[in-house]
Amino acid sequence: MSELSVNHLLGIKYLNSQDIQLIFETADHFKEVINRPIKKVPSLRDITIANLFFENSTRTKLSFELAEKRLSADVINFSASQSSVKKGETLIDTVNNILSMKVDMVVMRHPNPGAGVFLSQHVDASIVNAGDGAHEHPTQALLDSYSIRERLGSVKGKNVVIVGDILHSRVALSNIYALQLQGANVMVCGPKTLLPKHIDKLGVKVETNLRKALNWCDVANMLRVQNERMDISYFPSTREYTQQYGVNKALLNSLDKEITIMHPGPINRGVEITSDVADSDQAIILDQVQNGVAVRMAVIYLLASKIKH
Amino acid sequence: MNVLLKSATIVDPKSDFHNQTVDILIEKGVISQISKRISNPKNYKEIKLDNLHVSKGWFDSSVSFGEPGYEERETIENGLKTAALSGFTSVVLNSNTHPVIDTNADVSFLKTKANGNAVDLHPLGALTKESKGVDLAELFDMKSAGAVAFYDYQKPISNPNLIKIALQYASNFDGLVMSFPQESKISGLGVMHEHVTSTSLGLKGNPSLAEELQIARDLFILEYTEGKLHIPTISTAKSVELIRAAKQKKLNVTCSVAIHNLILTDKDLVNFNTNYKVLPPLRSQSDIDALIEGVKDGTIDMVTSDHNPIDIEHKKVEFDHAMYGTIGLESAFGALQTIFTLKKTIDLLTKGKERFDLQSSSIQQGEKANITLFNPNQSYTFTKDNIVSNSKNSCFENHDLKGIVYGIYANNQLVLK
Repeated sequence: MSELSVNHLLGIKYLNSQDIQLIFETADHFKEVINRPIKKVPSLRDITIANLFFENSTRTKLSFELAEKRLSADVINFSASQSSVKKGETLIDTVNNILSMKVDMVVMRHPNPGAGVFLSQHVDASIVNAGDGAHEHPTQALLDSYSIRERLGSVKGKNVVIVGDILHSRVALSNIYALQLQGANVMVCGPKTLLPKHIDKLGVKVETNLRKALNWCDVANMLRVQNERMDISYFPSTREYTQQYGVNKALLNSLDKEITIMHPGPINRGVEITSDVADSDQAIILDQVQNGVAVRMAVIYLLASKIKH
Repeated sequence: MNVLLKSATIVDPKSDFHNQTVDILIEKGVISQISKRISNPKNYKEIKLDNLHVSKGWFDSSVSFGEPGYEERETIENGLKTAALSGFTSVVLNSNTHPVIDTNADVSFLKTKANGNAVDLHPLGALTKESKGVDLAELFDMKSAGAVAFYDYQKPISNPNLIKIALQYASNFDGLVMSFPQESKISGLGVMHEHVTSTSLGLKGNPSLAEELQIARDLFILEYTEGKLHIPTISTAKSVELIRAAKQKKLNVTCSVAIHNLILTDKDLVNFNTNYKVLPPLRSQSDIDALIEGVKDGTIDMVTSDHNPIDIEHKKVEFDHAMYGTIGLESAFGALQTIFTLKKTIDLLTKGKERFDLQSSSIQQGEKANITLFNPNQSYTFTKDNIVSNSKNSCFENHDLKGIVYGIYANNQLVLK
């Protein structure tokens, strides 16, 4: 069986298209597994995984934990608020302390870009990046593409727009890389203040008018405005943001075709997306969540198979 | 100390022996004889080194050590030794210590510490008390103790009226004011050059605009005050343009560029290597091209290593948390020679003293011996083994450089590796 080209999942930019293909084919298998009455396989009984969350997370953490448990791995959880990080311990020391308890793999969320890359350079374990600042969130991008593939048959050639706070988003960046690797056309749309100035150099289209963007696309991935990451106001009010960048049913109905709506969650109903859109058949938001478990099982399984005991 | 340098090729356009390979006799700190062949009747120490070249002693207008307060980064003693073994006979020391060098007594402390060393240490005084950017420090008093200019190291003066007053006040005693070119509201939390690489790494960008806006502001204020301004470590193409135009208007302004900003780009940061985290940030190739042009046409008056030792505890951390700075003395010569000819390299390494009212010498009979000894042709890969500094944070680690330094002769002392 073929294997991944990498020993860690630090970002989509470090993968190739065969890796993504392999992850998806493996995820297909696990998706079938998790829909069985007995949702568990014994694949990783000899593997111990530490979930290190240095930043708040609900769904990603649950999704990883569920994926790990359905593969029968031993799981330990650690979050910064309970840890020695606040006592001044360095990241490397924190992780090495945990690894000395014979942990094989680390799933880490961290507020600083590159934290996963940094860790992989200094500790001896397989690292899965569960989000590092505004850098990457690779499993989110993988499950997003997997969900597009499931809904539309393939990702190749599709027009996908990512709408909202691109500046502070790791989801946007990972999605751009993942979609481009699979041959999709990518556009970002949002107020100019929330678009990185040089993002066009990544080979994406840039649009500030939501209607134009939606008319162009097959899929719209709606991102949340990350107020917690903003040092100043990038737009005057939520109300005004919603007027320009919120998706509602009337807007969708006025388009020439029916597009697919995605959201990585958590959704702010009435801000970037109205309830009638979020709950409609056009939206695949809950499919994304379910696929998240299967895709994360695939990633962990494939990385674990590269660990030499 | 009496020394006979054998077969040394002199690189000094002002010397009568420029480009000639000669013996040089130094007695009690003075060049007593230069000739094709000098015998050694008094049995002085003879220096024979492979492909030995000499120039007048090198000068660096921006180094940081750490003492007092940050001795774990670098001490004055080892810092000066690093300078000597890197070819520098004269360095201007930044005031970024703890406490900040902002009084006559602080300046005197540094001068006393460095007294008797082969390398001349020229302290900068802080421009504002504790470098907080609020109230002017006692500039005149510090100048009296030997401060050669006034600078809050890498701390922008955000209040335009303060820089106006500083320029006006210092002109009373011909004082040189330095202003770090960064508009801090625009640079924000940026940790690297704002461009596609910062976007792809998810790191916050520090746009060129932040530097250019501050330089434009300072030049306007300089024109109004008719003071004397040095802008350290510029890094963008437009900054070169702004200063070029100001010089055409005959404003009393000079500037420098850090050697790493002439060679490395933001693309070097793709692996989040914190040794490349410097301020101003590494920018684009088009900036480098403009900076090199500025160096060649004299818009940029001097290059500097901007030597800034940072201990490993502040570098081996997540990129956002790492401190800015790279050491640069040890790699300065070898790095410059990767982009400039030997002649230009030596020109750059010996320029800038006059801006700080410091004496410069030449390799001539009867002159005080202030000499750097080097071999310009040896290529090598720069590694930790080449580092003399206590801190090892070099952005040139594992880069191929050209030219090694043997040491210096200055202040009647010979310092060789």
